[in-house]
Amino acid sequence: MADAPLPRPKAYGYALLTLLAPGLGHWSLGRRGRAGAFFAIVGATFAAGLLFDGALFSPASDNWLFRLGAVAQMGLGLPYALGRLLGLGPLESARVTGVMFGYGNTFLVAAGLMNMLLAMDVYDIAVGRKP
Amino acid sequence: MVPDHFLSMLVFSVLVALFFAVLNHRDRRGFLKSVAKTLGWMVLGSLAFAYLMYWAA
Repeated sequence: MADAPLPRPKAYGYALLTLLAPGLGHWSLGRRGRAGAFFAIVGATFAAGLLFDGALFSPASDNWLFRLGAVAQMGLGLPYALGRLLGLGPLESARVTGVMFGYGNTFLVAAGLMNMLLAMDVYDIAVGRKP
Repeated sequence: MVPDHFLSMLVFSVLVALFFAVLNHRDRRGFLKSVAKTLGWMVLGSLAFAYLMYWAA
């Protein structure tokens, strides 16, 4: 499907699909195997982050480092928004002082950054820049 | 969750290595080589850095 280069607005649309679920953009372009692998890897990174007591930061946080973390985590798109709505990974003192807090945040931030890379990858495939 | 520093680092390294291998390689050989290289550098680099901090403290 993505063999013929798509016009740029359409490519942006496919890239934005990645923000609904990791791998959805690849799935829509017919790269089903990769889409499943990306969904599993980014999903596992996100789940491990929450399991390791990481926090889903608010972009309106007082701490600039937390705001920066929120920008990276927002790269996850819908999973980040749902997590925030459901109250997953709350920023509470027991969690912040825990041994695993830093590790959990590293996983969550990395998951968001991975998904941003996936969106760029989908765009490159869609416009024919990547085979 | 058991607070295990090494396990956390290992799980993170495996996930990152798999992510970049899937992203950049389509052939099986290239995929395996990329996983081994990234995983090896991340684990050994982390251990070397940890030892450096231990040694410097």
